[in-house]
Amino acid sequence: MTTSHRLSRRTFLRATAAAGGAALLSSCARGPGGAVDLAYWNFFTGSDGELMVGLVDRFRSEAPNVRVTDTTLMWGPPYYTKLAMACAGGRAPDLGTLHASRLPTFGTDLLDEWDVDELAARGVSMDEFPEPVRKRVTIDGRVMALPLDTHPMVLYYNTDICEKAGLLAPDGTLAPITSADQMLEAGRRAAEVTGSTGIAFGSADNLGGWMVFWSVFRQLGGQMRLPDGGPAEVDRDAVVQAMSFLRDMADGTVASPTLDGQAASAAFASRQTGFLIHGPWEVTTARTAEIPFSMTQFPAVYGDTPYVRADSHSFVLPAQARVDPAARSAAYDMAVSMLRNSLDWASGGGHIPALSAVAESPEYLAQKPISNYRGAAQVVQYDPEAYFSGSGSTLMSRAGQSIQGVTSRALTPEQGADDLIGWLDSQLKLGSPL
Amino acid sequence: MTAASTLAVPGRTQPGAATRRTGPGLAGGRGGIWFVLPFMVVYAAFVLWPLLYGLGLSFFDTSLVRAESRFVGLANYALLFSDPEVWRTLGVTVLFTIGSTIPLVVIALAMALLVQTGVRGQWFWRFVYFAPFLLPVATVVLIWQWLFSGDFGLFNGILTGIGLPAVGWLTEPEIGLWSVVILTVWWTVGFNFLLYLAALQAIPAQLYEAAELDGAGGWRRLLSITLPLLNRTTGLVIVLQVLASLKLFDQAYILFKANGGPGGSATPILQYVYDTGFTDYRLGYASAISYVFFVLIVLIALVQARLTRRSEP
Repeated sequence: MTTSHRLSRRTFLRATAAAGGAALLSSCARGPGGAVDLAYWNFFTGSDGELMVGLVDRFRSEAPNVRVTDTTLMWGPPYYTKLAMACAGGRAPDLGTLHASRLPTFGTDLLDEWDVDELAARGVSMDEFPEPVRKRVTIDGRVMALPLDTHPMVLYYNTDICEKAGLLAPDGTLAPITSADQMLEAGRRAAEVTGSTGIAFGSADNLGGWMVFWSVFRQLGGQMRLPDGGPAEVDRDAVVQAMSFLRDMADGTVASPTLDGQAASAAFASRQTGFLIHGPWEVTTARTAEIPFSMTQFPAVYGDTPYVRADSHSFVLPAQARVDPAARSAAYDMAVSMLRNSLDWASGGGHIPALSAVAESPEYLAQKPISNYRGAAQVVQYDPEAYFSGSGSTLMSRAGQSIQGVTSRALTPEQGADDLIGWLDSQLKLGSPL
Repeated sequence: MTAASTLAVPGRTQPGAATRRTGPGLAGGRGGIWFVLPFMVVYAAFVLWPLLYGLGLSFFDTSLVRAESRFVGLANYALLFSDPEVWRTLGVTVLFTIGSTIPLVVIALAMALLVQTGVRGQWFWRFVYFAPFLLPVATVVLIWQWLFSGDFGLFNGILTGIGLPAVGWLTEPEIGLWSVVILTVWWTVGFNFLLYLAALQAIPAQLYEAAELDGAGGWRRLLSITLPLLNRTTGLVIVLQVLASLKLFDQAYILFKANGGPGGSATPILQYVYDTGFTDYRLGYASAISYVFFVLIVLIALVQARLTRRSEP
């Protein structure tokens, strides 16, 4: 009994050691046929996550000699903190995802530029991206990120509720909204139909509040320049007016002041509101709920141009202490493959494809309602440039505090503006850590 | 962990003459160092060295993403004394510590007394009161996010159901931090409860019998026997709880999705350190803040040690 016990344990240990050693070896060495290992990091969870896995799998089948390890991390500070630390430590993944608005956070040291010739060799030219997007990802003439999409804030509407509220044009689409008062009035009329509120937006959510704020602020002609060392150059009047608009909207009738982003789309999906102001990716939620809905570009509530806050998911080459040329080349292949296949990404996630070959394809144009707002790509407004700004940044979270102070009526719009500008000044005075 | 071993010690070890008589024992032998060495190496590499390194960092303008850094002397310390965010977030942490320690001690004691005074199925109560403590923080927060949710949450459902106005648990600046307190009490009260229950079970039954013979009623026995004999445990529970509450970070960070709560009302100082160091890359400044916080904790610990020593016979 004892002997057999000991034997079996020894055999087990030996087997484990052998298996572990084999695993170790296989992870170090290139596999048969010169296979290349490629590490790819992204932050897509939920329905976007599924679509991204689809894109990765598609590349896997296109390039069987590349072994892709894809890692998904939580969106926002957790992702950006980890990626920046991995870059600073020199052991970053071969390919990463980044919001174009976060490029300033990564400065010029943490990322490598994309070689335009390498891209051209794979049939991609920078002219194929919309101009505002191209401008944002090019820093000092160097292409720092390769945009996959543009995702502007959009307006969802429940066609059933809007019809009952008399808000539809004869052709069944939303009648044009051309002023802030009309927007609020549309919300009020939808609220009469739903019996609760008219518009859902993430009023208690940093991203939700910031998207509306930044769109309206830019429509008002507001400028925000954040020079290192400060002070912030901000149009205070436009900040006050944009915050007033948010406060007027979150009055409990037009919109609830207590919804976070998830709850806002849930309210729209459960027919408690007639409108939803959110990112286009919530199209999945609305589709799953099987409600009658459509989507359109967020209207110009001030001024004539419907400027709208947007961002672009894009691919970057994180700086590594030692670049493996084979892996780098595979990273180019993978990024280009995902750009080419971005129709699924667009039709499933609501994003506007960045590559014109996809954005102008009849397949994409036939996708309704998501191709309705493709014009937004020409008027997108990215977040102001500073190392602490962009999607999921300190600025978004701190501005979110000021905005929520106003929507919850703890602060007046004037106090909210001074709160935000005061914080910007003190943040800039600290000097950039880049 | 520390708590459990501290509790177990007084009963078992009897440092008597027997140890002294045997001469050089294990403790005096030269072989001992080899047993401690593996721990010491890990401890030095992962606790002592980072501690010293962090102190060094606080005198530099070190950035996470820049290779070179300059010696800035006490500039980081000078800056933090004029940084209102440091003092505001420290205030949040202190408020949370006071606001959470009191219920975490009182409720734990009440629960232990109820279980001890003869409810049927003691094992069941012990289990259900302690179970939340075993859950990982992310799970706890996920549950409470839905309970607290403004328009769909269970709490607001109940409140509006009985005709009361809904509460912005996660959206009102005056309430955000108290939501963290409620969550934390539910999550961690089981640990204090267990400490109290163990202490209650250690009170000799004959004391109660004697008191009963002398005609003492239930309340008299509670006030004159139980509570005085729990003094040491209460001291221990308070010390452990204050230290645990000062460390507030993870549940608030996850509950408010890293944004610090409505109007920043639930940003503990540790989150400010984290944000400064890792999100804004300012490692030097973040180190300085954490060292000032460290000194404050040491001061609190010293005062507490002083107080407990004085109160003991």
